Amino acid sequence: MLKTTHQKIRGTIRLGLRELGYFFKGAAGNLFSREFIPVLTLFLVAWELLPRTMTMPDGRPIGNLVPPLSAVAVTFWDMVTNRGFLGDVADSMGKFFLGLGIAIVTAIPIGTLMGWNISIRKRVLPLFQLLSPIPPPAWVPLTIIIFGVGLPMQTFLIFLGAFYPILFNTYQAVKDTDPRYLASARIFGASELTLILRVYFWHAIGAIIMSVKTGVAIGLVMLVIAEMYGGRTGIGYVLNEAKDYFRIPQMVVCMVTLGLIGWFLIEVLKFVELKAAVWKGGR
Amino acid sequence: MIEARNVSKFFSIINEDRTADGITAVLSVSLMIEDGKIVSLLGPSGCGKSTFLEILGGLQAPTEGNVCIDGVQVLEPLPSTRKEMEAYRKKYKFLSPLANRMWKNQPKHNIAMIFQDYAVFPWMTVLQNVMFALKLRGVPRQKREDKALVYLKKVGLADSLRKYPAQLSGGMRQRLALARALSVEPKIILMDEPFAAVDALTRERLQDDLLRLWGETGITIVMVTHDTDEALYLSDEIVVFSPNPGTIRNRFDIDVPRPRRRSDPELLELKSRITSLFKYDINHESEFSI
Repeated sequence: MLKTTHQKIRGTIRLGLRELGYFFKGAAGNLFSREFIPVLTLFLVAWELLPRTMTMPDGRPIGNLVPPLSAVAVTFWDMVTNRGFLGDVADSMGKFFLGLGIAIVTAIPIGTLMGWNISIRKRVLPLFQLLSPIPPPAWVPLTIIIFGVGLPMQTFLIFLGAFYPILFNTYQAVKDTDPRYLASARIFGASELTLILRVYFWHAIGAIIMSVKTGVAIGLVMLVIAEMYGGRTGIGYVLNEAKDYFRIPQMVVCMVTLGLIGWFLIEVLKFVELKAAVWKGGR
Repeated sequence: MIEARNVSKFFSIINEDRTADGITAVLSVSLMIEDGKIVSLLGPSGCGKSTFLEILGGLQAPTEGNVCIDGVQVLEPLPSTRKEMEAYRKKYKFLSPLANRMWKNQPKHNIAMIFQDYAVFPWMTVLQNVMFALKLRGVPRQKREDKALVYLKKVGLADSLRKYPAQLSGGMRQRLALARALSVEPKIILMDEPFAAVDALTRERLQDDLLRLWGETGITIVMVTHDTDEALYLSDEIVVFSPNPGTIRNRFDIDVPRPRRRSDPELLELKSRITSLFKYDINHESEFSI
């Protein structure tokens, strides 16, 4: 039966919506599970009540330093309506995905090539092994001098944070590809290119996605550092500004936002992992 | 016709006390295998028969001697002098001589191989696995699916086309490996203990399937096994290997016509002759010696 383009598009949209539904069901399911809801409720209630009831040794309520949940929520709304906080979030996310994206599209091919061929590995790997122990925040001063303050510098720092974990994990997973698979593909006549695209990569896909998760975590760290040190926008900048003016609720809003972003991205990657490795859990 | 002349394979290893040592996996094995025969390489584990099979398939280079399939050398011998080494480097650049070409899918020889642990790609469905093998052999896109279906039907997997290997039983996975190997219409199939990982009942069925498919196609089958019954039931010729170092100990031709009965007196007599070659030795580190 031939399908028209119209039907195909509708089918694709329906499939996409269904997958989106699965994703949110899965992600929300982790957070709002029967087991976790009591813990979450307890945590939120404690957050609300403790700052209001407990006092510091000098008699002032602790809420002066640690804002209760409601105050944070009110501040959040205030920041969204009056300060354009969502613009800052979008700005940060733009930089973050740019940096992470560059890290992914460079680290995975380089890692794959290193894992695939020993002579490439011997020429390239020691360089990365020498450079990678430098903690990414240590790059900040030099990066500011080279790139100045702004998008290139921030993107580079985020890239730097995400690059090494993805590179090394990809390399290791590709190198550890089961020689049986390689042998059977070679006997059938697979070229090295085909081996890389159809065997090495797929064998390593689980480890690669895992490494992107690590990359996301370190990338977020670098996002905050980059925005704190150089920039006029973004969550890290707002956080730093709040520090200067001692606006504690704003700081907490920034922290919670960063936490939620990280959580969401990890959930997305978990979902991707599930979809990409559907062949693993078929039992 | 497969011809192996004086094939030897040495490995260097490092002992637990950090001293270097050499291992002779295969020592001057010469073997001629005629077209259309089923030949079993029989022996205890560690006698170099799997290594020898991989040398036949071009997955390992022999240290000495060479292997020809229909007069064409499977792998050129490894370099032994500095001059040869330089020529080798120039020829293969940074690729291993065991590898195929860089960009173009092209088999070196028309052979297929089946492994004990199946080695079907777990990230491809049953159909994709077979179609991938056909693609590597340069079968045009439109013909791949039809051809794959033909062979999957032959091994009885036509109902599981969209399943992943993880969803199949061990026997079905081995059938898939068989279908994949047969689909490319090879002249020779090399099997490395193909039925060792499945239960006894499934094994007998798989053996019968193999014989049936072999009868339909008439390909050469070289099989490594440590199961004497399997070797007797399937093969035209049994080559018994002995370990330390791995060499050919004895060869038996089996003239019993097919279909054979597993309890055929002639086979049983042969079996006792073969097992008498293996004598149990408790003092020795390895389980059997010959």
